[in-house]
Amino acid sequence: MTDSYLNVRNLNVSYGETAALKDISLQVANGGRLALIGMSGSGKSTLAMAVAGLLPKQARIDGTIDFAGHRPKLGSDIGVLFQDASGSLDPVMKIGDQIAEVVMTHLGMSWISARVRAAELLDRVKIPKALSRLNSYPHEFSGGQKQRIALAAALAGSPSILIADEPTSALDTVIQRHIVDLLDELVKDDGLTLLFVTHDIALASERADEIAVLYQGELVETGPASQLLKEPKHPYTKALIDTYVSVDKPRSRRLPEIDMARLQA
Amino acid sequence: MPLLASFFLKRLIAALPVLFIVLVGSFFLLEAASGDAVDAYIARSGAMDAEQIAQMRTEWGLDKSPLNRFEAYVSALAHGDLGWSTAFERPVTSVIAERLPVTLLLMSISTGLAFFAGSLLGVIAGAHPGSIRDRILSTGSLALYAVPGFWLGLVLIVIFAVDLRWLPIGGIESIASGKTGFARLGDIAVHLVLPVSSLAMVYLALYLRLMRDRMAEIWRDPFVKGLEARGLTRRRIVWRHVARNAILPAITMLGWQSAAMLGGSVVVESVFSIPGFGRLAAEAVAKRDTPLLLGVLLCSAVTVIIANLLVDLAYGKLDPRVRIGR
Amino acid sequence: MRSSGLEAKIGIALLLVLILIALFAPLIAPGDPLAISGEAMLRPFASEAHLLGTDRLGRDVLAGLVHGTRTTLLVAFFSAAAALVVGSAVGTISGFLGGFADTVLMRITEAFQTVPGFLLALAAVSVTGPSVPTLIFAISLGNWTQAARVTRAEVLSLRERDFVAAARTMGMRPLEIAFREILPNAFGPTASLAAISVATAILIEAALSFLGFGDPNRVTWGSMIAEGRTVLRAAPYLSIIPGIALVVTVLSVHLIGRGLSRTQRLQS
Repeated sequence: MTDSYLNVRNLNVSYGETAALKDISLQVANGGRLALIGMSGSGKSTLAMAVAGLLPKQARIDGTIDFAGHRPKLGSDIGVLFQDASGSLDPVMKIGDQIAEVVMTHLGMSWISARVRAAELLDRVKIPKALSRLNSYPHEFSGGQKQRIALAAALAGSPSILIADEPTSALDTVIQRHIVDLLDELVKDDGLTLLFVTHDIALASERADEIAVLYQGELVETGPASQLLKEPKHPYTKALIDTYVSVDKPRSRRLPEIDMARLQA
Repeated sequence: MPLLASFFLKRLIAALPVLFIVLVGSFFLLEAASGDAVDAYIARSGAMDAEQIAQMRTEWGLDKSPLNRFEAYVSALAHGDLGWSTAFERPVTSVIAERLPVTLLLMSISTGLAFFAGSLLGVIAGAHPGSIRDRILSTGSLALYAVPGFWLGLVLIVIFAVDLRWLPIGGIESIASGKTGFARLGDIAVHLVLPVSSLAMVYLALYLRLMRDRMAEIWRDPFVKGLEARGLTRRRIVWRHVARNAILPAITMLGWQSAAMLGGSVVVESVFSIPGFGRLAAEAVAKRDTPLLLGVLLCSAVTVIIANLLVDLAYGKLDPRVRIGR
Repeated sequence: MRSSGLEAKIGIALLLVLILIALFAPLIAPGDPLAISGEAMLRPFASEAHLLGTDRLGRDVLAGLVHGTRTTLLVAFFSAAAALVVGSAVGTISGFLGGFADTVLMRITEAFQTVPGFLLALAAVSVTGPSVPTLIFAISLGNWTQAARVTRAEVLSLRERDFVAAARTMGMRPLEIAFREILPNAFGPTASLAAISVATAILIEAALSFLGFGDPNRVTWGSMIAEGRTVLRAAPYLSIIPGIALVVTVLSVHLIGRGLSRTQRLQS
């Protein structure tokens, strides 16, 4: 409890009459990696956005999201990576400037130093010829490259937690691997805490320390990744793993619609 | 050939068919007028006998067939000759050359004012769509857009020139004041305040709306979430990102607005007694000066084409997704 | 958004009032509005017989306003309608036929867009002389191009759709397909254009009459403003009042237009 970086207690999120999250409680250790898995509509993205503080104004939030005591700021404490990379970059601004402005905002550097730092970040996310690419625009890059650039922008303010909402779902499988490897590397190097949302249970099992399973806004089960997969306690988790984990099945298969009512009957 | 020059050339060549259609259309439209320049001359200067009339017709080439006259017109045009103005008794080219600069001045200042002030107010309104500021500015712009330019001019004259006596009633500069250099510029500037305001106001409302509506759309674009997630200040997001994206459609508008504004300058110049190109059009119609009217129509078309060209060039520089010449 | 519904309703209400005024003009203000009916240069609200005053010849301002509504609405609606009909037809034919016909028609459309609409109207009036029918023609000359472009764009996107292929296999002739199947579907976005066309037509008509190129036998708001200009110092209200009428009319049309485009956007 004492070295948990993120502590969520009894979180409820609703939009008008609809409840999106019901009484969620979980913890993430400092430097730990938590995967949120579930079907579409399970509330996993809502949970991630709630932690980030990016829910729309209409959302009603009850409960606490505690960051080891302090109030986190977007950009400098929390970095966010979205599913649609081209959807998080301004199409008419040079990528170098977009990263540099984050650096300037949070690290107080001058413009020139910020640009140098931007080039360093681009280099870290393995964009070739980073310095010369500072003046390029988003549309000049491929989908995978744009996601890396978005990652660089997310890390530009030196955050201590990175929240990634299905960061690879929109990319093809080969690129997915590269991005995920990159994420691993950066998280390890910087000691970042990682919270990522995915529907890919195999990915979660590989890259996460802990897994949290969500179903229709409720937290069905959480636990260490290896344990959860070997000995799932909740019938839903069992069903998920049974239908999914198989050497032959392709990695990017979406989680099947499991009818809980049928399970419990 | 450098990219810019080839772009210009390509566009000008593409414009030629359009100009030709304008030429043919205008020429034969004005041909259809019953009563030609000679009749107009008679109406002004008194009756002449049949022989004089016939002689005048021959002199002015009005006795040949329309097709012949068209050919003659085009070949003269190729030499830069727009014909003879019957009302001013000078070559059309010289009349237009005398009057065009004033209108271009009026139009460019008005366009600049309308675009920059309108866009600025549009950003202020679009920074918080739905806010009270937005509602007031949007409603205001709606009302302003409904105002006829010439009426606005008269209202401004009543308030500022008649009641308050701050500004002159009309003209482009004080007559026979003998001012030169900066003093003259200042004098002209003072005379331009009201006409520019009248002409610009309506389009200011247009650019305000355009900017504001586009910004409201862009706020819903996913990349804004990305910007917020990076912890940028709202101010920065509004001005450096949303506004920058929103201004692009307004720029494409500029080109076609030049046509509307040229039309608007006709009445504004009449209200303020400014000796410009716009008022020339009205005079040409009133005095049934067909060659002059034809020249005016052609020059307007050329002006609009050039304005569009310049605007497209500017747009290409501002939108990195569009590359000139590719 | 509730505000948009209110806007459109206000617009419709205003326009209905104006249409009623135009229809019942002879009842509201009987007699010839161009006839001298009283003392010259009466201020507004000074006399009961002339609520809005009189001009320098003694003509009643209110009568002029009321009868001017007729000219304004008549010319504006018909020229906008003509512009829409011609524009939609050209756009449909152009979009449907494609190829050379399309290129030629588009060049012609461009030519009409390049010359300012007001100058086109001026030139046309100089040829035909000023009367209501010719004014309608002259004003529509500059207005039809928007409708052509919008319709053509719609047609191009509809052309490849299933119901067109079905019509073709049924053996319908191309032009028949164009007008029976495609045009009704393409008409949607043109409808909101109608409001802009009407508004533009109102303003062009006013400007033309202001310059003296309107119908001399009718009283129009533009000509009233021009008349008032001669005595601007002494009686500014003569020019100001008809202008207010213009603003209200154009505003009502704009409000309706915004309501139309909002409903259309919600439907698409």
